Amino acid sequence: MITVSHLSKTYYNPDGTPFPVLKDVNCQIHPGEVICIIGPSGTGKSTFLHMLNLLDPPTGGSIIVDGEDILHKGYPVHKLRQKMGMVFQNFNLFENMTVLENVMFAPCKILKQSAEEARKEGMTLLRKVGMAERADAYPDSLSGGQKQRVAIARCLAMKPKVILFDEPTSALDPTMVGEVLSVIRQLAQEGMTMLIVTHEMKFARDVSTRIFYMQEGGIHEDGTPQQIFENPVHSATKAFVQRIRKEVFEVNGQDFDFLGMYTALNRFCIKYNIPEKHQQAEDLIHLMLEDIMVSYRPITVRITQSELSSVTALDFMVERLETTPLSDAQRERLTPLCRQVVEEPTKRGFRVKLII
Amino acid sequence: MKKKIKFILLLFISIFLASCDKKECSIVLRSEADLSGLRVGVSSGSFFDIYLTPRKDITLHRFMTLSDNLQALLNGKIDVLLESEVLFNSVVQKEQGIKIAMKSPFSFPAGIAFSKKDVELARSCSAVLKEMQADGTMQRIKDFWLSEKYISVDELPAIPPEPKGKPLKVHTCTTMAPISFLVGDKWYGIEVDIVRALAAKLQRPVEFEFIDYSSAILALQTGACDIMMGCIFITEERQQRFQFAESYHAFSGAYYVIDQEAREKGDGFWANVQESLWRNLIVEKRWRFIAHGLWETIKISTLSILLGSLLGVGLLLMTRSRRRWVRAIAGGYNWFVACVPQLVLLLILFYVIFAQSSLSPWVVSVFAFAMTFASAASGIYATSLNAIPPGQTEAGLALGFTRLQTFIYIVFPQAVSRGLPLYKGQCVNLLKGTAIVGYIAIEDLTHAVEIIRSRTFDAFVPLLVITIIYFLLAWLLGKLIELGIPKKHVL
Repeated sequence: MITVSHLSKTYYNPDGTPFPVLKDVNCQIHPGEVICIIGPSGTGKSTFLHMLNLLDPPTGGSIIVDGEDILHKGYPVHKLRQKMGMVFQNFNLFENMTVLENVMFAPCKILKQSAEEARKEGMTLLRKVGMAERADAYPDSLSGGQKQRVAIARCLAMKPKVILFDEPTSALDPTMVGEVLSVIRQLAQEGMTMLIVTHEMKFARDVSTRIFYMQEGGIHEDGTPQQIFENPVHSATKAFVQRIRKEVFEVNGQDFDFLGMYTALNRFCIKYNIPEKHQQAEDLIHLMLEDIMVSYRPITVRITQSELSSVTALDFMVERLETTPLSDAQRERLTPLCRQVVEEPTKRGFRVKLII
Repeated sequence: MKKKIKFILLLFISIFLASCDKKECSIVLRSEADLSGLRVGVSSGSFFDIYLTPRKDITLHRFMTLSDNLQALLNGKIDVLLESEVLFNSVVQKEQGIKIAMKSPFSFPAGIAFSKKDVELARSCSAVLKEMQADGTMQRIKDFWLSEKYISVDELPAIPPEPKGKPLKVHTCTTMAPISFLVGDKWYGIEVDIVRALAAKLQRPVEFEFIDYSSAILALQTGACDIMMGCIFITEERQQRFQFAESYHAFSGAYYVIDQEAREKGDGFWANVQESLWRNLIVEKRWRFIAHGLWETIKISTLSILLGSLLGVGLLLMTRSRRRWVRAIAGGYNWFVACVPQLVLLLILFYVIFAQSSLSPWVVSVFAFAMTFASAASGIYATSLNAIPPGQTEAGLALGFTRLQTFIYIVFPQAVSRGLPLYKGQCVNLLKGTAIVGYIAIEDLTHAVEIIRSRTFDAFVPLLVITIIYFLLAWLLGKLIELGIPKKHVL
């Protein structure tokens, strides 16, 4: 249905230096697929979506839709967009029209439906998204979730073959995310072909038939939800789906700013909602650096937190060290203070990992 | 609404009270030395203005029209009014409650002026005037107009039929009996008769326009008129700039002051207003000036708004052009228009840029107002379009509308509802701004009132009448523009 090959997009900074957003994106989308596109911010997920219906023209590569090259000069882009709907992060409802008018406007003007017919179909769609009751309301009186449901109905009114969702829940209150996702879920069950850029991992896992993990302007990994969430091939994918956060400190001498490190540690614990682990982490770092590994410099200290499994780990790495720096006595002192002590050699040295 | 009406009533009453205010003082003048320390009113740029300017010990007030000058004297804003003795004859003096305190020690020759460029015309005119002097025509005209009696409407001389051809354009800066004045739409007066006799000998028709003194000078220098008149005194300095026909008469200057005895009338407020309404609107069918002025004002405003709105679209497109130099031109234009007063722009267009062309003054004024309006309109368009979030366009495009459809169906209606109040304000501003077209001899509402006032010397009623007319016009225009607000339901 849609074949994308070597798609690229480069913006130019005001001083003329190129700033690539997408580099060499390749994929195929088949009818009936529900594809969630995940990945860190600023990796071109939205740009990719905007490129599929040419709201943002690519600078290189090709997009073939139903056997036609849509980048060919003179291709009727508005015809393409009529069968490829889009739902935006900021809803973009027409502010000067009522809910029902928003839904029936395009069918009336583009598909030349009679007002009566469009009204009837519009009401059916509004009922489907649970907004029939507010048909005569203006968008500014609706909540974000309601607006997004109307936007979905407006998109469906053109009877598209594919719908592109650009972060449909990112601008919503957490309490309103559910109502929008359930509408999308319903569409998925009806077999609508959809591409959804989202940060809702659980939703992506449940609803999609395929997942694109995008990073640094390309599709880094492409697979089924099981594959991506349970057995990711790339470590970056793993870190992203398990939502591993980290903070790294280089302790390189006696003059190191320990106070600064403890402050950063505190901030990290508050940010990722593990304030109860802060004292324990600080004590362990103090013990390791001042008593146990005092003769080793420099040491790389890393704290990581996986949001999915809620495991916090402290890594102490010393380069060009071949055996463990811990004596039996020291190991015994550490064991009661944490859940697990792992000692393992790495490519460049040796690591002591404390899981807390 | 009630509050509004109350406020407006209060305003009018205060204007009236100000015009009724009589200051008690009596001034005795024995020689020009007694003027020391007094406030003297003269016509701006006139001979008397130049005559008194060297006197540092008096405060000179320069007025654009004689009726403003007289009003200032009556209201006590000045103590003495210096004008030609002939302008307020004994009848007018009695009517207005003023008297001549003293005549100037010298008399000054008055004449009609021609452009120095048009030597041919000046020469033939001089010849004709000499002829008129010789055959007694001139003496007959002078005898008729310069007698001290009041000339009623029935006694006015018949106007001879005019030959066809290129008209002689005459600008007069005085509408005052007996020099040159309007009754209905016909000009009368001593200088009018002289020019008519002159034109008859030259086999040409005549067109008279009333204009203020400094604009008339500009018009004569740039060729916008052929003859300038209106009790112009012949001085050496002026002779260097214009060609003068031989003086037809020498007038003395007169120092007018308030005549306290004559002013104790007091007919009561409503009797005064009624009498004033009668005198300013009905007598000599003076309402016709207002009707004609109203038409001119409406014509100029409407066309300027239409043309300006269109030019504004062009200007907006230019400011959004990809080409840098096009944007620079548009930016420079906006800057220029923003910095130059509307009146100055109008004068430049009429007396400099279109001086040689045969465009009617009203066409030039439409250009001048449209130029300024275009700049403001393009700003309003830009503001209202920028206020529409880009998401609206994106949503329209994503639904399958073309770019043009997206603009027409989605962006434009929203921009209109945002921009219309601003646009309305700008239109009303333009309407009020057209009051300055009198400077290029267009008889719009304001100018019409100037003409009426120069005959009746009234401030209150004429100003009240046009205030009400402008108010209604602005209100009507606003209502008309509000019709453009998009309907609440699009489908």
